[in-house]
Amino acid sequence: MVDKRHKIIGEDPILFEHMWKTGKGFYITVSILAALVLLGLYAYITQYRNGLTVTGLSRQIFWGVYITNFVFFIGISHAGTFISAVLRVLKAEWRRPISRLSELTTVFILLFGVGSVLIDLGRPDRMLYAIRYAHFRSPLLWDVCSISLYLTVSSICLYLALIPDIALLRDLGGRREWFYRILSLGWTGMENQHRRLEKAINFMSILVIPVMITVHTVVSFVFAMTIQPLWHSGIFGPYFVVGAIFSGVASVIVVMAVLRRAYHLESYIKPIHFNNIGIFLMAMTLLWFYFTFAEYITVVYGNEPVHMAIFWSKISGKFAPLFWLHFVLCFVIPLPILATKRFRTIRGTVIASISIILGMWLERFVIIVPTLTRQRMPVEGAFYIPTWVEWSILAGCISLFILLYTLFTKLFPIVPVWEIREGREKAVTAVSDRIKSYLPEQGT
Amino acid sequence: MYDGKKIIPGLILFLGLLTYPIWHNTVSGKTSYVPKPELPTDKAKKECVEPKTFIRVNHKTLLEDWKFSVVRNGIRTYQASNKKVYTISLNRTCMNCHTDKTKFCDQCHTYMGVTNKCWDCHIYPKQMAKE
Amino acid sequence: MQFDRRGFLKIAGLTALGLVAKPGWDVFSKIESSEPLPTPEPFAKKKWGMAIELKKCWLEEGCKDCIDACHRIHNVPDLGTLKEEIKWIWTSPYDKIFPEHEFEYAGEEHQHKLVPILCNHCDDPPCVRYCPTRATWKREDGIVMMDFHRCIGCRYCMAGCPYGSRSFNWRDPRPFIKKVNLEFPTRTRGVVEKCNFCEERLNRGLIPACVEACKEKALIFGDLKDPESKVRKVLQNRIIYQRQPELGTKPKVFYVL
Repeated sequence: MVDKRHKIIGEDPILFEHMWKTGKGFYITVSILAALVLLGLYAYITQYRNGLTVTGLSRQIFWGVYITNFVFFIGISHAGTFISAVLRVLKAEWRRPISRLSELTTVFILLFGVGSVLIDLGRPDRMLYAIRYAHFRSPLLWDVCSISLYLTVSSICLYLALIPDIALLRDLGGRREWFYRILSLGWTGMENQHRRLEKAINFMSILVIPVMITVHTVVSFVFAMTIQPLWHSGIFGPYFVVGAIFSGVASVIVVMAVLRRAYHLESYIKPIHFNNIGIFLMAMTLLWFYFTFAEYITVVYGNEPVHMAIFWSKISGKFAPLFWLHFVLCFVIPLPILATKRFRTIRGTVIASISIILGMWLERFVIIVPTLTRQRMPVEGAFYIPTWVEWSILAGCISLFILLYTLFTKLFPIVPVWEIREGREKAVTAVSDRIKSYLPEQGT
Repeated sequence: MYDGKKIIPGLILFLGLLTYPIWHNTVSGKTSYVPKPELPTDKAKKECVEPKTFIRVNHKTLLEDWKFSVVRNGIRTYQASNKKVYTISLNRTCMNCHTDKTKFCDQCHTYMGVTNKCWDCHIYPKQMAKE
Repeated sequence: MQFDRRGFLKIAGLTALGLVAKPGWDVFSKIESSEPLPTPEPFAKKKWGMAIELKKCWLEEGCKDCIDACHRIHNVPDLGTLKEEIKWIWTSPYDKIFPEHEFEYAGEEHQHKLVPILCNHCDDPPCVRYCPTRATWKREDGIVMMDFHRCIGCRYCMAGCPYGSRSFNWRDPRPFIKKVNLEFPTRTRGVVEKCNFCEERLNRGLIPACVEACKEKALIFGDLKDPESKVRKVLQNRIIYQRQPELGTKPKVFYVL
């Protein structure tokens, strides 16, 4: 029995420890998170009882923090797909330890993206009317369809990649054995099962990439399809997708660093991972800058009065502090850190990532709110200051996300054990063979 | 049974609390309560839009159909099974006879625990007189 | 009958037949011919529009007759703050409504005069496109309708309307209605509302409340399809303005200077 256990755990005891060892840190974290979640819940109950009047929203600016949260959370969800699916398709072997933690980020944060819209509704008791009386000409319905599809496909991707690890846990026995047995779907690790699983994962990985692109494009269409100045732009689709991947990858870096420290995964999530993902993040920083620049230079060059009024309010007016802060956070701070090898350490990339996450939330805010202040209609003293309700709900959503994430790590290994082992056993020779196949044949 | 002296009374208490909703009404004598909706006394208002048996079961569906007909189709006339033509209106047709919702609609709705949101917006004739 | 599978199926079939017999009979016996209802006049025959003669409106400064009439009969609450106000028809300075008429060297006479504005009941309404539940739609007679039963309060129609004609109920409006009109329902919190061209009055053959209330007869309402209607006559041989016609919404509220 002990032998079997040793055989299963093998040389990776650390990957299993976080499921079974619960230290003081865990309880403190969970307590703080639970308190914030309860605060968020209290704020929402206040809103449910009194109406949206408890927010800072007004007749002029009727979309604010909640819609920003919606776009922001859906944006972060692009992380998992990129790291797990795209890197898998590109056969990048360094994705192995981080694929599950990024997929998990995607699946869980999508729930909060949808949740943010439902929190914003004036009549949440009628939320199912969007399905019962669906009007497919509305971009919000396109949102419903694409996000549901994305959630389904991502969940399937997450689950498929979990099956071999669930089977390992089942084989270890113990009190939770029945739970893992049901979920493992009879996995025996035979060669034919591995082949089938490989095929399924590859298929789903390729499927999820266009879905991912569709999702944030459709979210951007909510704004781009209106005729409001600085929203009605063809570039919004790709702009939002790039912003999503940008903020998503930054979030995954933060998650990687936190898990690495908390669960002592230093030998699995190594500086090289941060380096590689940091290089990609740098590319995304530049790409984000390109889209932002293209968007604003088009507006400035066109010089239409209605557009310029909003542009100036962002550059030097009411929203200037937020605009420039977001620019510094999204571009000025991360780029030098990510561009130089010396700073692209774990600490460096995490600092850059935190800066990017904050900056991207502000970016969504700065896209949504200024247009509402100076819509084509007459301005009547518009201002928007979010109240404690909105901030509490944001804090509650983020805390609940982290809480659910932490509880997941108590049930399943966060670093995919079977993928690490596959990497050790097969990937080295497979990659070496692959590289040989690219080069000219020997003897020519 | 080991610890039987503690378990059995505890179990009885638990079952009693669990089934409280079932025996409470019998004990407190409230089962004899029957909802008494007050019908209009005016002789001219003797006939409802549809017969009692139909209306009792179907008034929710009827009102929902009426809502759809007026708001979304703009059709404000309804031909009842008695061949008479009525104007579709909660206030002008239904509440014209059943003027006080607390004495009529609420009698059965409260008893059955039915909540409807109609009165969040619609105002019954006697309401303003009370407020 | 043997109690085996075939026997069971036979009994089951007969039972099903027996259960269906009475309801089936009821269903088919309901088909009776009744006199056809007088069909209401199809909406498509009319196309409602409104013309506002600004010079007549400006005869009395500070007049709010149309606003008061509309808000009174439709139970529009008075919330008192810019943040939460609900308005179906209101006034705004000329230079804000028609910014394209602002010329550096033009005279200042009417730049700051107040112009009544309301939902334009556009022919190609953006708000109707964005509603996820079709709680707002364009009726055949041109009125952009609002179904308060179906609105989920997402405020996308408000984001889509380039004119800012729509208001949202941020809280329960009932305590803020000065004097409730029993003839018209109020709304709950969480739904969007706007001018409905008094469709409940049009149904009874009356003109909209604002048009009726205007002492100077500055608001003219009528059927744009009828060349003899008042509104068509007012629009003849005059220079007509619309709010932001370049957006392609084809508004049905015309301003005549």
